[in-house]
Amino acid sequence: MNDCQTLSEAGHTVVRLAGEVDLSWSAQVRQAVLAALNGGGPVAVDLAAVRYIDSSGIAALVEGFQNARGRGQRFVLVAVSAPVQAVLKLARLDRVFEIHESLEGGAPA
Amino acid sequence: MNLAAAPAQATEQRLLARLADLSQRLAVSIDLEQTLAQVAQIIAESMDAEASAVFLIDEAQQRIVCRACHGPVDISGLSLRLDQGLVGRAIARGSCEIVGDAHTDPDFAGRTLDARTGFDTRSVLTAPIMTTEGAIGALQVLNKRGGGPFDAADADSLRLLAAPTALALNHARLTQVVVQQNRLRRELTMARRLQRSLLPKRRRGAFPLRALNFPAREISGDFYDFFELPDGRIAFTVGDVAGKGLDASFLMVRCASLLRWAGKEGLPPGQWLARANDELMEAIAAGMFVCAVAGYYDPFRQQAVWANAGFPPLLRVDRVGCFARFEAEGPPLGILRGMSYPEQQTTLDGAALYLFSDGMTDVRGDDGEVLGVDGVQHAVGEMRLLPPEARLRALVRRLRRMTVTDDTTLMVVEGEAPALLRIEFPAEARQLMPMRHAADAVLEQQGVDAELRAALVLALDEACANIIRHAFGGGCGSGRIELLIRREAEALHFVLSDTAACVDPERIKPRDLNECRPGGLGLCFIDTLMDAWKLTPLAGGGNRLWMVRRLDSANSHVIEHSPTALDAGASIA
Repeated sequence: MNDCQTLSEAGHTVVRLAGEVDLSWSAQVRQAVLAALNGGGPVAVDLAAVRYIDSSGIAALVEGFQNARGRGQRFVLVAVSAPVQAVLKLARLDRVFEIHESLEGGAPA
Repeated sequence: MNLAAAPAQATEQRLLARLADLSQRLAVSIDLEQTLAQVAQIIAESMDAEASAVFLIDEAQQRIVCRACHGPVDISGLSLRLDQGLVGRAIARGSCEIVGDAHTDPDFAGRTLDARTGFDTRSVLTAPIMTTEGAIGALQVLNKRGGGPFDAADADSLRLLAAPTALALNHARLTQVVVQQNRLRRELTMARRLQRSLLPKRRRGAFPLRALNFPAREISGDFYDFFELPDGRIAFTVGDVAGKGLDASFLMVRCASLLRWAGKEGLPPGQWLARANDELMEAIAAGMFVCAVAGYYDPFRQQAVWANAGFPPLLRVDRVGCFARFEAEGPPLGILRGMSYPEQQTTLDGAALYLFSDGMTDVRGDDGEVLGVDGVQHAVGEMRLLPPEARLRALVRRLRRMTVTDDTTLMVVEGEAPALLRIEFPAEARQLMPMRHAADAVLEQQGVDAELRAALVLALDEACANIIRHAFGGGCGSGRIELLIRREAEALHFVLSDTAACVDPERIKPRDLNECRPGGLGLCFIDTLMDAWKLTPLAGGGNRLWMVRRLDSANSHVIEHSPTALDAGASIA
């Protein structure tokens, strides 16, 4: 169910999350995002299979976004599911992140 | 008509008039001192004497005391031994004593007095005041005007005047007893008023506690009290002092104020009673003791927690008619120092908790049988569906039909509607998901739409996560969280209680959402998604977070399920 995989796709290091991101494992998500950024290349977080995300999950994404910007690295969210989109909107972060429908030629959502 | 008889007839007629006058005045007099002064004056005038005195026996002092006098010398207050003087002789003999020249009589006790005052006592006539219990005093007249001694006719006259005096004295004494009783009753009424003033005022509206007290006599040995703590819990006490009457009611006042004082600190009920017990042991008469219950009702959690020191069992009755009985687990207060009082608790989701003194169980019906705990249980069971006020009135009506022999006190703690959800879980992050699913299921049953459900579940999750992270410092240890969801009309109430160290609510403020930083988002979510919330540290430990969202509120914040990337079927190719 809850799952966090890091893979390489379309020139990006992709962190693919699934399940319900909450306090019980958001630390693991944070580690995965920061590790992906340490590779130096562009990073995408795939949120298609995330049914729930809480503020600790959002915090991990914000930290990744801030780290990347500091280093001039690309950091995008892709395939943001409806529940995640709603929470991003609630946190007024939906216009802060670079969000794409997909990695391949995706226009900003 | 015999010529010689004419002056005697005139004397008799004058005496008759005096007697009538005296009797009439005595009949309307209720003041003993005033009555005696009138008697002294009337007998001096009727008997043509220079002076007169009324002596009464002081039983306590075993003396004869002059209570009133009339004449040139004031001898009121003069006190003689019971066997002293011409008065003592008349009283001892129970007969009139006629003395022609006092100074030749060995019993005359007024020689010194005469020498000092210059009054010259010559002839003396003394008549005892007789009642059914013997002589209670004597009337005395001194120095017949025109010289000469008093004669047998004078003695008869004085005896005649002594008779209504005896009646009037008896009357005055009885009146005094009644006056004293009235004063005592007035004082008891004041004591009762004072006692009642100690009882808390009845609250208007939907206050969850109601109580009644009927004293068996003017004053009560029972007491009850309730007051709100700053954290919103209601502290309550009910007690019954062993015995009735004044000493029981004084102990009641002492014990009630002791419990109030100890309860203000929000001590856990067991410690609360233990402290009151130790304090009470400082000054309690041997053989006296107090049965009492002390506890708190948390209307947010609908939870009652208490300790019971020898008081009758508490009864919980729900709307279906299921009963639970909670027997006392501690001994009465005031017997032994250092006793412990185990805590007991129950939740009142749609149920009521009854506390009653043994006066309630000891009432007798027409058949002479006492009601007993079973009888009380039966009665409250029958009335369980009545609204609280009507139910209390019905119970009182039923009690009034029976014979109440002891002080009777009844307290009812009334729970609100049953909770939609009440779960308790360890303060650990992995408990969050099952909590979310349970809450979501309950909200779905209530017909809450998916978007609002998602919002409420998120707020609950954030609140629990904050408790785990901040209140419990990460979720290790044995901390626990209780979640209660309740619906009141169109409002959903969420109450999260924890057992962590108290948090300072001043430090918990939502941050500005316009800043982009990782931390502090959870509280913003709660603040945005709920219509109102309040964090309250509980006296004695723990915290309570209360949140409410109205289903018809103007708050438009939900977790939207608008079509997005996922629903559009977007994917990473």
